[in-house]
Amino acid sequence: MNEDLYWALIDIANGLLSGVMLGGYYAIISIGLALTFGVMRLVNLAHGDLLVLAAYLAVLALQFVPMSPFITLALVIPVMFGVGYALQRFMLNSISVQSMERRGMSTGYGLMSPILVTFGLSIVIAHALLGGFASDARIIRNALSYSAVRLTEDLNVSTLRLIFFGIAVAILLGLHLFLKRTHAGRAIRASADDVEITPLMGMVTPKINAMASGIAISIAGVAGVMVGMSRTFQPFDGPVFLLIAFGVVIVGGMGSIVGSLVGGMLLGITQVLAGTYFGPSAQLVAGYMLILFVLAVRPQGLFARRR
Amino acid sequence: MSISVPDSPPLLTVKGLSAYYGESRALFGVGFSVEKGTVHSIVGANGAGKSTLLRAIVGMMNRGRAAHINGIVEFKGRRIDHLKTEEIVGLGVTMVPEGRRLFASMSVEENLLCGGFLARCRSAMDETLESVYDLFPRLADRRQQPVSQMSGGEQQMVSIGRALMSSPELILLDELSLGLAPIVVDQIYQRILTINQRGITCIVIEQDTERAMRVATSVSVLLEGRVVLEGDPDILGRDRVSAAYFGIDNAGISR
Ligand SMILES: Nc1ncnc2c1ncn2[C@@H]1O[C@H](COP(=O)(O)OP(=O)(O)OP(=O)(O)O)[C@@H](O)[C@H]1O
Ligand SMILES: [Mg+2]
Repeated sequence: MNEDLYWALIDIANGLLSGVMLGGYYAIISIGLALTFGVMRLVNLAHGDLLVLAAYLAVLALQFVPMSPFITLALVIPVMFGVGYALQRFMLNSISVQSMERRGMSTGYGLMSPILVTFGLSIVIAHALLGGFASDARIIRNALSYSAVRLTEDLNVSTLRLIFFGIAVAILLGLHLFLKRTHAGRAIRASADDVEITPLMGMVTPKINAMASGIAISIAGVAGVMVGMSRTFQPFDGPVFLLIAFGVVIVGGMGSIVGSLVGGMLLGITQVLAGTYFGPSAQLVAGYMLILFVLAVRPQGLFARRR
Repeated sequence: MSISVPDSPPLLTVKGLSAYYGESRALFGVGFSVEKGTVHSIVGANGAGKSTLLRAIVGMMNRGRAAHINGIVEFKGRRIDHLKTEEIVGLGVTMVPEGRRLFASMSVEENLLCGGFLARCRSAMDETLESVYDLFPRLADRRQQPVSQMSGGEQQMVSIGRALMSSPELILLDELSLGLAPIVVDQIYQRILTINQRGITCIVIEQDTERAMRVATSVSVLLEGRVVLEGDPDILGRDRVSAAYFGIDNAGISR
């Protein structure tokens, strides 16, 4: 084979491979946003900050008990579930579209109030982290940072990315089975379909919303630990991840698990290939160009569910 | 077919029930009662307040200032007018809402399983599911089919089946005939009589007085938010019911 052609193919293959891996990681960053939007029509602007909070939680845990960063998930997941549950139950439920309509206010208030509240929460979390941890860049050190798995002589994939991809697929599959097969999961989907009617099934809307939010934020927590293990982070980094999540959700469509994974992969592949061919500065631009393109040709997202 | 048992309270009693949507009022002191094991029909023209009445009974109007009710609703002698919908459904009252309102992203079976969400329903879930398929064999062949791909009549069957999954004692049926061909409506009302024979009390709402009177043990006529006539449909007769329905009193003068 022609040497140039070989290297061109290797470049593409490496790009596709790392794009796909990145896609799993992006999907985990964003699935929570898609879930809470799908179920409650709620755009959580603090999504990224909650993710960063989870990364700091892992840092804190590791200060007290030296252990593998993966073990911190055993703490991060339940704590973030509790944070998401409480946030919804005690704060967001009372200002939801439904609660606002019940009080005789227009739908606009119900859509706007959570945006303002979660925006405020985002600022509060970022400043609390600044107060608690200062503005130094942190990273969750781990043994796998520089390790790679060699597929062929010239085809490599970072071990960490591969593990993250495995975790992502496992989480998405678990979420899918939960939503499909359990009473609680079906109740969450039923709320997404028609929340006015779910009480007739005996479903208690505030609890179901809180559970959906708990799940969403606990997955964001996993994403936070992944982020912390793969790059440095600071208290004000939340919006970076919120933007990634918005991008994935726009590309993949709201409220679809497959959409999040494929949307994440498309975004990942676009970014990596653009980076390979046009340099690092092209990465972000290419990502946003993909997002704009999808918005222009298919605003409901590539995998949006019909309703 | 009246099986009313003297001395025990009616299964459902509504007294002086008023309902409001914000400032506007939809029901004006409505009262009626339904005996266990019967089919009670409520008829009335568009906008008479039929759906509002059913929604009020299942607690879907007690939602704060925007929509609220005043008055008494008793189920088996116990007041339920202050309870939440999920609590009322827990006690054994449910509703098939106007327009069917299925969970559009789900299959037939998933919709039915949602109906059996209550903890008290879960142990006997499989049997209840089979009894619904028994009642509507057409659904049994389509368990995995998305409800969005079904005919209106089939969707109505799913909606009724979903309500039955909560093992109700009283089921409120809001305009089952909406948008369906007469022959399909006949089939569905056949099934309602079967459900009633299984011991479930039914409240049926229809605009079509004839159909409503044919299945009913007792009937109430609702006109602009008030009950203007009630009784045994055979004794009242068609003419009196339709006169009341249109708001024409016995002298033939429109109110
Ligand atoms: N969500 C709402 N907000 C404000 N007013 C309402 C609302 N729903 C119903 N109404 C009003 O309440 C009155 C009764 O309506 P309702 O839906 O109970 O009538 P209905 O007898 O069920 O009519 P139909 O046969 O058309 O279904 C009507 O005047 C209607 O305009
Ligand atoms: Mg109606």
